[in-house]
Amino acid sequence: MRLPTFFNKKRGNRRTGLPVWGSLGEGIYHAVLFVAGLIIGVLMLAGIAVPEWRINNEFIGVDGRLIGKGLARHTLRDVFGGAKYSWRPALLVQYDVDGDEVQSWNTVHSSETHETRDVAVHQLDNWELGAYVRCWYDPGDIETVVLKRGYSWWLWLLTLLLPGALVTFGATGLLHSLKAWGRSEERQAAQFGRLLETFASPLPESVGFPTIPACDNLVNSPGMMLRFRLPTESPELWSLIGAGLFSGLWNVVVVLLAVNVGFNVVGGRADLWLLGLLAPFVVVGVASIGLFCRQLFFVTAVGPTHVEISGHPLCPGNNYQVLLSQAGSASFRKLELFLELEEQATFRQGTDVRTERQIVWQFLIRRWKDVEPLPGTPFEAEEQLQLPSKAMHSFHSTHNAVSWRLVLRGVPKRWPAFERVFPVVVFPADVPVSNGESK
Amino acid sequence: MGRASDANSDARENISMKESSRIEQSTFDSYQIQQNPRISVVFNHENIQYTGSDLLRIHYVVESVESCSVAAIERSVVWYTEGKGEEDFGVVFFERIQIDKRNDGTKILPKSVNTDQLTGALAIDLPQSPLSYEGIIVKIRWCVRIRIFFRSGRDFVSEHIFFLGNVPLAQLSEKIG
Repeated sequence: MRLPTFFNKKRGNRRTGLPVWGSLGEGIYHAVLFVAGLIIGVLMLAGIAVPEWRINNEFIGVDGRLIGKGLARHTLRDVFGGAKYSWRPALLVQYDVDGDEVQSWNTVHSSETHETRDVAVHQLDNWELGAYVRCWYDPGDIETVVLKRGYSWWLWLLTLLLPGALVTFGATGLLHSLKAWGRSEERQAAQFGRLLETFASPLPESVGFPTIPACDNLVNSPGMMLRFRLPTESPELWSLIGAGLFSGLWNVVVVLLAVNVGFNVVGGRADLWLLGLLAPFVVVGVASIGLFCRQLFFVTAVGPTHVEISGHPLCPGNNYQVLLSQAGSASFRKLELFLELEEQATFRQGTDVRTERQIVWQFLIRRWKDVEPLPGTPFEAEEQLQLPSKAMHSFHSTHNAVSWRLVLRGVPKRWPAFERVFPVVVFPADVPVSNGESK
Repeated sequence: MGRASDANSDARENISMKESSRIEQSTFDSYQIQQNPRISVVFNHENIQYTGSDLLRIHYVVESVESCSVAAIERSVVWYTEGKGEEDFGVVFFERIQIDKRNDGTKILPKSVNTDQLTGALAIDLPQSPLSYEGIIVKIRWCVRIRIFFRSGRDFVSEHIFFLGNVPLAQLSEKIG
């Protein structure tokens, strides 16, 4: 008898292995995370959060007298035998509990310890011997006394976040494993699909046409000459936004660094290392401003592109009028208007999520050469477009897409080539479409 | 009526011949202790070619297995993606038929199912989309899946491809017009 394999192995169209073992392994992994989260949560609550909560809610406040002060040293030894010290102010308080005089050193929070002895000594100077101070003692152990109350928000955040994340991740994974246990992928998809319809809205898709993206955003802008004006997806605009963000953030850092260096120089404490570090930062900052300005000038010089269409969504085999309008003062060596079909696949490679795009169909609607715009008038051209009768419809699922788009590619005379994309939605053939034009 | 393993005579002949043959897998096949069943599916369209909103009607027969060893049968009509991206998956029809007797000793089965001879039938109206598609990095496939769960805990799935729509094969750098 062969032992079961603990991993999947693809052999042609078959997969060998045991999904049950896989689910079991996943379940154990998530159960360990879940239990670890619970244990860490309980420990953090019991060790940190609860004592702080008790100080603020259960400790009894009295007026006490400061009768002694000193410095407490905490020694932390590392594995190599070295020692690290921290100091905190220690205060001896005398206070009255039900007629009894109690003397006790105060308890302080770990955040009040200091690695530098001088800082702790300096803090100690703020306390005056013989002075009356407000203190709070533990009714369960009257010798435990504190001189300060309040909450450390970061500690509570840590207490909630770290175990909370582990518990959430573990519980989600555990539920997923339980959901998959003994169920086929079809059964899971059928049940999960129903769940998704109940609790969450799925990907926006056209009513009655599963997996075809909704085109509401593509038909809400009327055109000047034709029925609809298509929205644009311009890579140049994203480059401009990216360059602007990078330049802004980088130069904020440069300015902060420069101000610090400036104060040092004025105070006669010029730090050569800091000056040396500032120089390349300034060079990159200036270069990023130059890049941003060039990009901005390029976008404004080439001018906006508008595309209008006579019907939408599109239907295979139908004819449509397309109006191209290119504003701006730039002259072009050539302008090309394409209809393209692009496939898009998203997949995991190691820990990265990658998206690959591939143009599988390309139809040149029209090419214009040596375009010289008239002053104050955009370049305009109206063209006829016929969609292939057996064209694939637009498709969109979680990791895969098949998208149709009109693309303008231009080569200006004094600028680099540019591309502007206008997505369109194509429905299957032989389906009545309300906004499309007939043949 | 046409069998799923029949060759398709359109332009996608090579692909049809390859894909419409049964793809079967057993999740416990690393230590098989009994013979895999043979499942044949008969479609109501000769060339397993359908269009949106067509009626898909199939009849299946499970052979080479004793009916008393089967605990449940799941019948489903699904589409899935293949290619470079992660697989996306949609179920348009799903039905689980529990053949085991329930605790109260009763069995509730659809009329179209015969548990003695392990045969069955199903009929659904197909949706308008997504259409079957043979792209470069994205492919969309439609199939009928018959999954058998044995009393031993083992399961076996048989997948029978059919085509929705008639979208031609995508070819890299093809220019139209």
